[in-house]
Amino acid sequence: MRTTDVARSTLVVAAVLVVQHTLLDAVRLGGAHPDAMILLPVAAGYAAGPERGAVFGFVAGLVTDLFLPTPYGLSALVGCLLGYGTGLATRGLVRTSWWLPPVVAAAATAAGMVGYAILGAVLGQPGMLRAYLAPAIAVEAPAAALLAIPVVRMVAWALPEPSPGHGAAVGGRLR
Amino acid sequence: MARRFRRSRRARRGVTIALLILASISIITLDYRGQAHGAISWAKRSAHDAFAPVQRAVDAVVRPVGSFLSGAVHARDLETQNAKLRRELDQLQRRSLASQSTENEVRAITQLDHLPWASGMATVKAQVTALGPSNFAATVQLDKGSTAGVAVGMPVVGGAGLVGQVTEVWAAGCTVRLVTDVGSAVGVRFGPAGDLALVQGTGLGKPLDVNLIAPGTALHRGEVLTTSGLQRAQYPPGIPVATISTFSSQPSATQEAVVGLPTADLIQLQYVDVLQWLPSP
Repeated sequence: MRTTDVARSTLVVAAVLVVQHTLLDAVRLGGAHPDAMILLPVAAGYAAGPERGAVFGFVAGLVTDLFLPTPYGLSALVGCLLGYGTGLATRGLVRTSWWLPPVVAAAATAAGMVGYAILGAVLGQPGMLRAYLAPAIAVEAPAAALLAIPVVRMVAWALPEPSPGHGAAVGGRLR
Repeated sequence: MARRFRRSRRARRGVTIALLILASISIITLDYRGQAHGAISWAKRSAHDAFAPVQRAVDAVVRPVGSFLSGAVHARDLETQNAKLRRELDQLQRRSLASQSTENEVRAITQLDHLPWASGMATVKAQVTALGPSNFAATVQLDKGSTAGVAVGMPVVGGAGLVGQVTEVWAAGCTVRLVTDVGSAVGVRFGPAGDLALVQGTGLGKPLDVNLIAPGTALHRGEVLTTSGLQRAQYPPGIPVATISTFSSQPSATQEAVVGLPTADLIQLQYVDVLQWLPSP
């Protein structure tokens, strides 16, 4: 990664963190709130490919975990897997449809929440699966769909060079 | 040539992912086993301390907008709630005038009997500033931290009973795990015989599970469960935690199925007291 990529990525992560903890944390439905931080690795995987998505997801996860009471490193692990998985799954897609980022974001966020809860349960917090998972998915997946387009644009600006072959099928307005 | 390039790129990608996964698992393990807990706690405190001024500044700008939008959406609810609160205020004012003599008596009794719940424990008054940032934990954040004398492990009370326990502290704030969190477990006593039980959370806004009550134990709805304060308990004795809401017994069950409701109003929590009391190590 180039220095400008690192600087831009830092700016994007910081901006999303501020929005998350000042605005989105206060929006509650059924006890859950939208989560833009888990959208970052998804957007990175979609915009920049699996490898850079994984790295971006790992770092964003470490930053996220600084502010959460759940086990430290859990968001980093989920972010890394989510960025990689999203990048692999969307690698060959032709991106001319405006609805593609919201659909990918919603599906990947839901998968990320399930993975997060399962890993949390493995680490001795079964309540994450039992009590919190359903409302979290019900709120976060639609919110991710709504926030996908601006977040993908921000991450695409932060990580502007797709790897060779990844960008071959890219077309349309959004990467 | 192109095939070799693709293969080496794939291999490099695999190594990167494997290293990231390994690093994540190592961090989780170090935190879980406590070996890096000090460093991680320091990092979290520093992050909160660094972020708090930014959050306050953005909040000052954004909150009026958010409140306006929220008020516009919930205008009718607000009017109804306003009218209800005005009626309650009138009732309270009347009761306050009538109860002043009762309050004097209670104060005298408390001093005579040294009731644990109302004893002269040092407290830090705090305001709830936000609901917790995680969708997988029932927590709130307060506006007092280590500079005000708050420490990890201190009980937090409000309204009519126990709210939770401080789990993280930084200079100007702290995180409190609510009694409704699935990770919360409070040892309690109830009844004239001082029977013991365990109150466990089932999620934000949900009732509490009351466990370890033997089948056939005499119970009644509305019975108050207070902290037991047994040796090495996480809370001092005598703080109301929950009231029994429903109970039933199944044949051959090993315990009564009891559900409780928190005595503190956790839905509309605004001001709380942090008790400057720490569990024994």
